[in-house]
Amino acid sequence: MITPSIALEILVTVFALVVAPLAGGLLFGIDRKLTARLQNRIGPPIVQPFYDFIKLWNKDQIFANRSQLIYVYVHLGAAMASLVLLVWQQDMLVILFTLALGGISLVLGGFSVRSPYSQIGSQRELLQMLAYEPMLVLAAVGFYLVTGSFLVAAVFARGTPLLFELPVIALSFVLVLGIKLRKSPFDIAAAGHAHQELVRGLLTEYSGRYLALIEMAHWYELLLVLGIISLFWANPLVVGFGLSLLLYFLVILIDNAVARLTWTSMLKITWSWGAGLSVLNLAAIYVLSYLGWIGG
Amino acid sequence: MLMVDWFMATTILLPALAGFVLFFVGQPAIRRLTVLALSVILIIASLLVLQNGPFTYSPRPLAGVAWNQLLVAGDAVLVALFFYFGWRARSGLIVGLVALQAALVAYLEFALAGVAADNAPLFYVDHLSIVMALVIGIVGSAIAVYALHYMDHHEQHLRVEPSRQPKFFFSVLLFLGAMNGLVFANSLPWLFFFWEVTTLCSFLLIGHDGTEEAQRNALRALWMNLVGGVAFAAGMILLETTAHTLAVAEIAAERQAGGALLGLAFLVVAGCTKAAQLPFQSWLLGAMVAPTPVSALLHSSTMVKAGVYLIIRLAPGFEGTLLSPLVATAGAYTFVTAAALAVSQSNAKRVLAYSTISNLGLIIACAGLNSALAISAAVLLIVFHAVSKGLLFLGVGAIEQYIGSRDIEAMEGLLRRVPLLTAVTMIGILTMLLPPFGVLVAKWAALEAAARVPLAMLLLVAGSALTVVFWTKWMGRMMSAAPSSQRLHVESLSPLFSIPLVGLAALAILLTAALGWVMSGLIGPAVSDWYPTVGLASGDNGLVSSVGAFPVWALLTVLAVLVVVALVASPVREKSVRAVYACGENLAESGDTDFRSIGDGTQAMSLGSYYYVGVLGESKINRWANPIAIALLVSLMGVAIL
Amino acid sequence: MNIITTARVKSPWILHFDTGSCNGCDIEILACLTPLYDVERFGMINVGNPKHADVLLVTGPANRRNARVLRNLYEQMPAPKVVIVIGTCGCSGGVFHNCYNMLGGIDKVIPVDVYVPGCAAKPEAIIDGVVLALQRLAERSESKPALAEALA
Repeated sequence: MITPSIALEILVTVFALVVAPLAGGLLFGIDRKLTARLQNRIGPPIVQPFYDFIKLWNKDQIFANRSQLIYVYVHLGAAMASLVLLVWQQDMLVILFTLALGGISLVLGGFSVRSPYSQIGSQRELLQMLAYEPMLVLAAVGFYLVTGSFLVAAVFARGTPLLFELPVIALSFVLVLGIKLRKSPFDIAAAGHAHQELVRGLLTEYSGRYLALIEMAHWYELLLVLGIISLFWANPLVVGFGLSLLLYFLVILIDNAVARLTWTSMLKITWSWGAGLSVLNLAAIYVLSYLGWIGG
Repeated sequence: MLMVDWFMATTILLPALAGFVLFFVGQPAIRRLTVLALSVILIIASLLVLQNGPFTYSPRPLAGVAWNQLLVAGDAVLVALFFYFGWRARSGLIVGLVALQAALVAYLEFALAGVAADNAPLFYVDHLSIVMALVIGIVGSAIAVYALHYMDHHEQHLRVEPSRQPKFFFSVLLFLGAMNGLVFANSLPWLFFFWEVTTLCSFLLIGHDGTEEAQRNALRALWMNLVGGVAFAAGMILLETTAHTLAVAEIAAERQAGGALLGLAFLVVAGCTKAAQLPFQSWLLGAMVAPTPVSALLHSSTMVKAGVYLIIRLAPGFEGTLLSPLVATAGAYTFVTAAALAVSQSNAKRVLAYSTISNLGLIIACAGLNSALAISAAVLLIVFHAVSKGLLFLGVGAIEQYIGSRDIEAMEGLLRRVPLLTAVTMIGILTMLLPPFGVLVAKWAALEAAARVPLAMLLLVAGSALTVVFWTKWMGRMMSAAPSSQRLHVESLSPLFSIPLVGLAALAILLTAALGWVMSGLIGPAVSDWYPTVGLASGDNGLVSSVGAFPVWALLTVLAVLVVVALVASPVREKSVRAVYACGENLAESGDTDFRSIGDGTQAMSLGSYYYVGVLGESKINRWANPIAIALLVSLMGVAIL
Repeated sequence: MNIITTARVKSPWILHFDTGSCNGCDIEILACLTPLYDVERFGMINVGNPKHADVLLVTGPANRRNARVLRNLYEQMPAPKVVIVIGTCGCSGGVFHNCYNMLGGIDKVIPVDVYVPGCAAKPEAIIDGVVLALQRLAERSESKPALAEALA
């Protein structure tokens, strides 16, 4: 039985699944253009990621072994699923778990070949997950403390933006974005476009169509993280999008301004400045709601 | 009504009885038959208890002797045995602890007449006990069956003559009976008796191989658990003198205060020793010297689960008191610290051991959070952790018998060498780690329940992140490609191996698929017996809590579809296979095993994992971790008086 | 040009291999990446990994020492791919011609599509060479038999 509301939901889901990679790819194109401009270059056209995708898709398919291919599908599927969960305004923690499922799958893909570059890349990717996951979960806890629910729907149901209560947590997403987008100073597992690290880190042994699929998963993930950032100003959502693009621009700026750091520095920075300050933000919420100054 | 008493009695007495029979009858055929038959009976009996539902029961006096008098005799026998073991090992510590424990119990039984005066039923079977009995019955039986084949191989390998298996199966089966007694008992002194029997069995099993290391570790397990026994006895005395009852159901039924609360704190400490919480983790780590079925038993369905069971059982008694957040913090602290310790381990069994300790910490943290949602998470975790961890130990034990190592570094390319065992072990890890499987659902519920308890929440967040690291590192090694020179070799498994392994693997997945039923039929009632709500309900797509929703089936479907798509869409064309990138220096004939090195020499490509020993090594962490853990446990005592 | 060919031409990822050049040509290749020449505006990226590369840039002559490395890298690149040699050494052996350890030009080891002579080749010449190679790539991409052969 398909009622109008279900039909609408399906429509929105399909729309999200189609538009997200297009928007994600375009944002990556803008990133490359911006980076080029920041370096006083002209840079590639902003549709460049799509040229790359189509080219990769039509390359000859070579691989080191079969099992590495399986992980790509789970990686992409998990990224898509977590975006769909966000669109359905589901539980924040579940969205993050699903995202982690995709991350774990990619790490296993890197581990599945006997290549030192790809295996060291996988080890570092794990450390990256260790770095950003606490911040994401703390953000979910922050959403809960303010709205009284882990459901994204509760964020939309609330009138005032979360940004007022959770400014530091919102800012911590600069670190999350930086790591997820493989941007300096955190591009240690596999660097983005023209950079090189460990050859190509955990992506070294992926080529052609499978590299294209991983790239696409990356677009979904970008949209997912930007979507989560938008939740900090959910009514009207346009402002939230603006906020997320602002942070995105900040990440690109940082990428062009700093050098790559080691994993120990990454963990120190993310756990102290990222998670640590997020905790202070949460502590403030606890105290304020204890004093009765804010609801929740 | 009469029948269900018998089912319950069967689960306690029949294993013990069968154990005694096997102790005297050494024929392998009889042993196999007995254990197989017993497994079937145990599973059926626990299912029948489930079908019947909760009840209370006090057995009639046996030949004119009251059961409580028999208990005194049983305690005396145990004390004598422990004393003997301590004396034989010239361990003043053990002798002292036994003496202290005996004095406390004697004071309780004779001076306070605690047991005799109690009119409460001896056994109180509620849904929580039934869940535990099912776990013991199903997972415990699977392990016992697995042990039949494992021990044959084990003794062949060590050239043990004459066979010590009669003694081994005696301890294993007695263990199962004692665990069932423990979860059904209502009277604390009876619970204590079964508790001490599990201590005895674990001591015998850890020391089973008789090596010097085994003896030493068995003695360590003994003294640490005797510390727990002393705390248990002290707790009972406090409860008897202040709350004037030793019936678990009565203690849990109302919020305790003052001395009784301190008594509960002592019992929580006893639970922490049995559950190998920091700083008592070393006995469980030492227990690995025993044959693998022992580890599987200790880690999944028995022993450590007795500790967390006791704490969950008593949790309603300290709901809303200061003890709750303290227990939550102590548990969450063990959760994160044990997870950090697991990262630096390359020994697969040690990783599993730390993961067990970590998960038990999470269960205890949930008991301390003490809301309906948290307790649901705790019971969920007990069930799913038992199945997955039992499976993992059995898998690793079998792998060890095939490849001769339990080192994670030696497991590279395992999929090519022992594909079946690797597959079931992978299922064990995946069901421990990934959404939407049960353990992660429980973790989700725990996080949602912890969100209002700041310190516990932070520790849980950090621990969850670390958990991902150590599991994935291990999986990465195991699923890494074998050197391509290695031929695919499918191992042949004895049915005594394959049935428990495949059974548990299937159970781990099916229980998640049937999570709605598990929740409404098993775990929901176990929680609603003691709490006004359940905190978790099955909704349209999965589980729904008051503050969130976990679309279990949607995700499970997505995962299944993805795996199918991946398998179908990944073509295998030999000519598409290229060696890995090695700066152009691959040796054509060897593919990805060797590369050309200095002076055209051949260099083997060897890969290894990172263990971060310099940051997360045991010696680094234990230095501060154990003192903090002791301080946390002491704080349980101190603040409960306030 | 169909969309696939367009994409191929617009996104040439480069692997740069130096078989023993004097580094003169290598410096000029790096110069192409600088803001002055900015080859990334054509979608070019220096990937450093044969499995991701479409274009193999070789500097230096083919010699006995690393001919097998060159062949290995070439084989690890997925089709369709093109090879460009930069500099006189790579074209013919250059000043190393007839040396005891020399095989000669790169085309003695792997098929070469475009030769960019010069000692060292200027960045403008290198870019011209790449453009020429991309034309070859487009022709190959457009003609079905050639593509089938490349992908076979």
